[in-house]
This record gives sequence, C-alpha cells and structure tokens, in this order.
Amino acid sequence: MRRVWLVASREFMAAVANRGFVIGLLIMPAIFAGLFTLMPRLMNRPGEQIRAEVRVIDSTGQIFEGLRTALSPDAIARRRLDTTKRVLESTPEAVRDVAGSSAETAMDRALGTAPALTVVERPASADLQHEKSWLTEARPASAPRRLLVVVHPNAVVPKAGNEYGTYDIYVPENTDERIETTFYDGFRESALSARVRAQQMDRAQVEAVMRIPRATSTTVALDAERRTDVRFNRALPFVFAGLLVFGIMIGGQTLLTQTIEEKSSRVIEVLLSAVSPLELMAGKILGQMAVSMLVLALYILIGLALLSSFAMLGLLDPLLIVYLIVFFLVGYLVFASVFAAVGAAVNEMREAQSLMTPIMLALMAPWFFAAPIGRDPDTAFSIAMSLIPPVNTFAMMVRLASSTPPPFWQVALSIAIGLGSALAAMWFAAKVFKVGLLLHGKPPTLGTLIKWAKMA
Amino acid sequence: MEQALVLRDVRKSFGTTKAVDGITLTVPRGALYGVIGPNGAGKTTCIRMIMSILFPDSGELSVLGRRSSLDAKDRIGYLPEERGVYRKMKVGAFLTYMAQLKGVSAEDAEARVPTLLESMALPGTENKRCEDLSKGMLQRVQFIAAVIHQPDLLILDEPFSGQDPVSVRLLRERIEHEHRRGATVLLSTHVMANAEEMCQHVVMIHQGRKVLDESMLGLRRQFDTRTIHFEPLDANADPSPLQAVPGVERLDRHEDSFTITLSDGVDPAGAIGRLAMAVAPARVELARLRLEDVFIRIVAEGATGGDAARALRASLLAPGAEGALV
Repeated sequence: MRRVWLVASREFMAAVANRGFVIGLLIMPAIFAGLFTLMPRLMNRPGEQIRAEVRVIDSTGQIFEGLRTALSPDAIARRRLDTTKRVLESTPEAVRDVAGSSAETAMDRALGTAPALTVVERPASADLQHEKSWLTEARPASAPRRLLVVVHPNAVVPKAGNEYGTYDIYVPENTDERIETTFYDGFRESALSARVRAQQMDRAQVEAVMRIPRATSTTVALDAERRTDVRFNRALPFVFAGLLVFGIMIGGQTLLTQTIEEKSSRVIEVLLSAVSPLELMAGKILGQMAVSMLVLALYILIGLALLSSFAMLGLLDPLLIVYLIVFFLVGYLVFASVFAAVGAAVNEMREAQSLMTPIMLALMAPWFFAAPIGRDPDTAFSIAMSLIPPVNTFAMMVRLASSTPPPFWQVALSIAIGLGSALAAMWFAAKVFKVGLLLHGKPPTLGTLIKWAKMA
Repeated sequence: MEQALVLRDVRKSFGTTKAVDGITLTVPRGALYGVIGPNGAGKTTCIRMIMSILFPDSGELSVLGRRSSLDAKDRIGYLPEERGVYRKMKVGAFLTYMAQLKGVSAEDAEARVPTLLESMALPGTENKRCEDLSKGMLQRVQFIAAVIHQPDLLILDEPFSGQDPVSVRLLRERIEHEHRRGATVLLSTHVMANAEEMCQHVVMIHQGRKVLDESMLGLRRQFDTRTIHFEPLDANADPSPLQAVPGVERLDRHEDSFTITLSDGVDPAGAIGRLAMAVAPARVELARLRLEDVFIRIVAEGATGGDAARALRASLLAPGAEGALV
C-alpha cells in the first residue's frame, strides 16, 4: 500500500506540477471566451458596409412607400436596437444586470454593420424578363449589389380564405445573405402596416393584442419553492454529462500517455524491480484520479461561482454534485482501467489509436443520447441505457439532471452495475498490464489483449 | 540459508522458443558472479525470472532465502538491461523516489543522493532534469538507483553496455565497492574482459542452457599453464631447435608464429628461457585463458546439453585446439 501511495503521489505531482497542466486547465475556458468574443467580429468584418440596389415591382402599389421608409438607415438601426432589447429581455435578469449597458454595444457589434439598401421602384407593368437581365449585366466591383423583387398582388389584401401573399426575390450569383435578411425585415414592417391599414385597424393595438410575455416558472417542493428556468433545466443534463466525460478524459488520456512513455523510455523495468505490476497500475490510476478530481472540482467551483454571481444558485440541486462525484468515480475506474491496459499493451501512441476507437465511441455516446434521455428520462430506452455499462454512468447522470429524476433503486442499481464493471475492467487491465508492460513487439489487437488476459 | 540465489531446473518458453531450458544454479552469499553468453542465450530471461518480473514455467527458485524476489524486493538492487528514467524528473527527485519505493525513508534517501552522485562523478546534478544529462551520465544515475537502498543482492544486467572506458572503470570500482560492503553481486555481460577481471565465478549460458559454471581460479588453474606463443625475430628461421627444447610436446606453425604445447608438469618459466635461447624471439608469451575464447568456441560449435562443458574443456585441452586460445 505504501508503494501504491508513492506511485500515486508521483503521478499526481508529475501531472500537476508543470506548466502544461496549468495551461491545459485554462485552455478550455479561454477557447470559449475566445470564441464568444472573436466569432462575431470574424463573421461581420467591421467597417465594410454592404451596399445594394433593390428594384421593386409593386403591383399592389401600397408597399413601396413603406418599404422606402422601413429600409432607411434610421429604420434599420431602430429595428436592430429592438432585436437587441428583445434578446436581452429573454436573458435572466441577473445576467442583464451584470452585463449592463455594455450588452447593447456588444449585441450591436455582434450583428455587424448594417447593409445599406437603395430601393428603386419599377413600374408594375415592367417586363420581368427584361428586368432580370439587369441582374446578369457586368457590375463594377465598387458598384452596389443588385436585387430584383416582385411583390405578390395579394401581399396586402388577401385573396379568398385569408391567403396573404409575399414577394419573389431574384438575385445574381454570389449574393450576400444579409441583404436578403435586411430586406425581409423591411418588407415585413411595410407589409404589416399596409395590411393593418387595409383592415382599418390600429397597428399598436394589434401588437399589444399579440404580445404574451414569457412566464415565470416556480418549482414547488415540500420544503421550499424554487424558481425554475426552462432553458437552465434543459441545459443541465448536457452540462453534467459533459463534466463527467471531461473528467474521465483528462485522467484517462494522461494515464494512457504516461504509461506509453514509461514503456518507451524503458523506465518500466526499473520500476518493476521495486513495485509489482498491480501496485504500479493501482498507483497510476489513483494518481490520475486525483488529478481529474482536482480539475473537476475547479470547474464545479467556477460553475457555482458563476451561478451564485447571477443569483441562480437556487436553481441547482446540490445533491446533483454529490451524484456527479459518485458517478465520476465509478465511470473513471471503468475507463481508466481500459486506458491503462491499452497503454501497457502498445509501444507508442500511434498504435493506441485502433484500440482506442471503441473506447472513444463509448465516451462520445453521451453527446448522442443526452438530448433524448434528458427530454424523456423515463422511457425504456433511457432506463436501459442507464443500466448498460460502460455508458450507464453517463446515462444515469443525464437522467438525474433531467426534470424527472429516476427512482432511487435505479440509481443504486446503476452504481452497483458500474462498480461491477469497474472491477471487471480492473481485473482485465491488471492481466494485460502484467503481460504487456515488457513486451515490445508488433502492436497488439483487441484479440491479443483478451488472449493475454486469459493467459496471465 | 547461506545461498543468496538458488535456481533448480528452471524453464521458460515463449511460444515455441525455449528461452531458458532447465538451468540449475547456486550463488552463495557474498559472491561476485558473472553470467556470460551470447545475445539471445537466455541471460535476461533468467534474470527477469530471478526478479519475478517473469515467472518460470517449471522449476524452483529461491532468492535471499525467499520463494520469490517479490518478498525480498527491498533487499535487491536491480539494473535491467532495458533501463530508463523519467525524462522530465529531476535527478535527485528520481533517485529519492526509487529509494522510497525500496523502503528507504525520504530523509535518508535525500541524504544519500549527493554522496552517491559524487561517487559516480556526477556532483551537483540533483536539480538537473534527467533529459539534460548525457546517455552515459544517465547510465550512472540508473546504477545509483539500483544501489541507493544498500541491497543485499545486486543484479546487474549488462551494466557496461554503452559505456565509455572511463565510465566502465568507475562502474567497476563501484560494483567492487558494493561487493566489499557485503552485497552478493550477479552481473551479466558479454564484455568478457570485465568478467575475467572482476568476477570470482563465471556461469556461461548458451541457447537456454548452462554450459559452464566454474570459479575463475579453477578455470585458470586448468587452462593457463601449458601453451606458449612464440614469434621468431626472423620469420624464416628454422623451427627445429624449438622442437628440440626439452619439455616441448608439440609445435604448431602459424603464419609467422608458433604455438608451443608443453608436456605435463613442465615449468613454463624455465621452458620460456630455453625457447628464447634456441631461437631469437620477437615475442614470447604464456597463453592466458581468455573467456572470450571459451565463449567463441561454444558459440561456434553450438555446444549444448549437459556434456557441453566437459566437451568444451576437452577440446580446449586437446592439442591443436590452440586456435581458439589465440
């Protein structure tokens, strides 16, 4: 046991006390932060405004004037501000308070520079074929892009049966999609006003009639009432499955690379003169488990700190974190054993790839079933998945984080099955470890590994 | 109890290859044994079984009085043939770690490291990363890792491979130091000169079998007194006066020298003087037993089996076999 402890502490220190670990720890949040700040800027190259000339054939005669107003730079800016406000409204209050006024500028930047559209009216009698040929004429690069729009005759006044029309749009090749979006917003504005006018109604009144603010939802439990947030609840299963997979991946991957390195650097036989293969494996698995726990704990703390700063801490059931740790331990033992076995069997990382494929697939599984199980946690599929190793830990975690947690006996059964498969995996890994460590030959297949396990 | 190591008819096969084919060996406490043999002879497999890294298919093994070296790990120092270090670890930390795994307390280990590094001509390298050391330096670090816990039994698999002459000498001194301290030493090598000079006892393994198990003293006594190499000053000199010298049993001519075999009981010192008087010599020397010759002869003849050693000895003693001794 003393040796296991020594191996574990060395593994832990070797993994944690280096620059790579600190960088690795920060890289995930950094990538996300980077994506959120960079992506909008990359998508909308600022300063480069798209200009377009839109020719409109308006047979209703009631839309074009409104369209000209709705597509004026002022109107476009106003609509974007409205969008911003709407988006902000649907975010939780706390986020809005924290983000403050900077949110509006941020949104503005995210939407990019608005396109400038010049609308030109063509007579209703204009020949469509002739107008279309304008689109294919050669256009200097600096000239505005071109669009041709034909408004349906029933765009304002419906035909029989309340059937309203819209418009057809003709574009040359390589048209920017933002022009069409902007035009659609303007057309919608103008057409709505024209239709409401035609019905002799008041636009503001109609809008007031149509508006239903988002409901606040409260979970009523025996002891307390807790505010619920639909989107938060929907995201929860994904977040927990993600944390689980992530924690297992960190430890498992390091275990794999470290074992391969010990083999290829030939330090392994020196070690084996002091510790038995089983002690070595146990020490390594424990050491990497401590590393994973450290990382996981750090991410959980960051998550809790974020929730608490947005005053959303109440949304999270603390029992979930306990379950996360339990299922992490069980799942980690299963996967880490297999990672260790593969590491002991191969000579270099490249050879590990083919053996790793099934393991990686099992680790990817939660991304495929988190959504169906999270939505319907009580179907036969969900229950089956949460009992079949090695994905049972992930599936059960998703079910626990869903809106309808499973009965306790199923949770306990899943943990028991997980522990059973962890024992089986460790037994298998110990056999492979014993045989594989000193073999430097052609890379083994899964079949060879099973043969080793039987042999040892 | 006085045996450090006992192997009784130990066998190990890998698939259809018989790596070790029934080896019986006894190493008494405090001895310095050399295991020699060509590549693939089964030396490393044998040593790995002694270390309980591999397990014999059949046969019995006792290490320091225990049934398995696993029960005596902390008292054994092992330098494997395939040895490495944690490249990113600092030298001092690596040695302390190895010592701790062998049951030395952290304080003791840390105290021993600087002295040991100094003794291996590596002073002040504690805080260097292993990857910053040269290959030869790392070999010496690995040797320290094998002796830092002051083992009762020291097993060294090819300790001299890849070492420059200065390191070899240093290493020999340290091995002899450990031996004087009281450790039983078993080393495998195919650098015969080292085995010849260092070992008290030599075991030769070939094709998984033991073909020789003899003390150096015994080997010398049997082999080294009757053959003389003689190179005349004038290559065209008439050799018949040599043949006429009393005590010469046989004379074999080579390119520009002769191998002279003396009769039993003839004093070689007197014979050399008489030979030099008979023909002016460029070089006269008493042929000494060289393990290399024994080794090459066994490999060349593919000698195996229980009679191999006897057959070998016979062939070495037989007239006309001197070619192997040159």
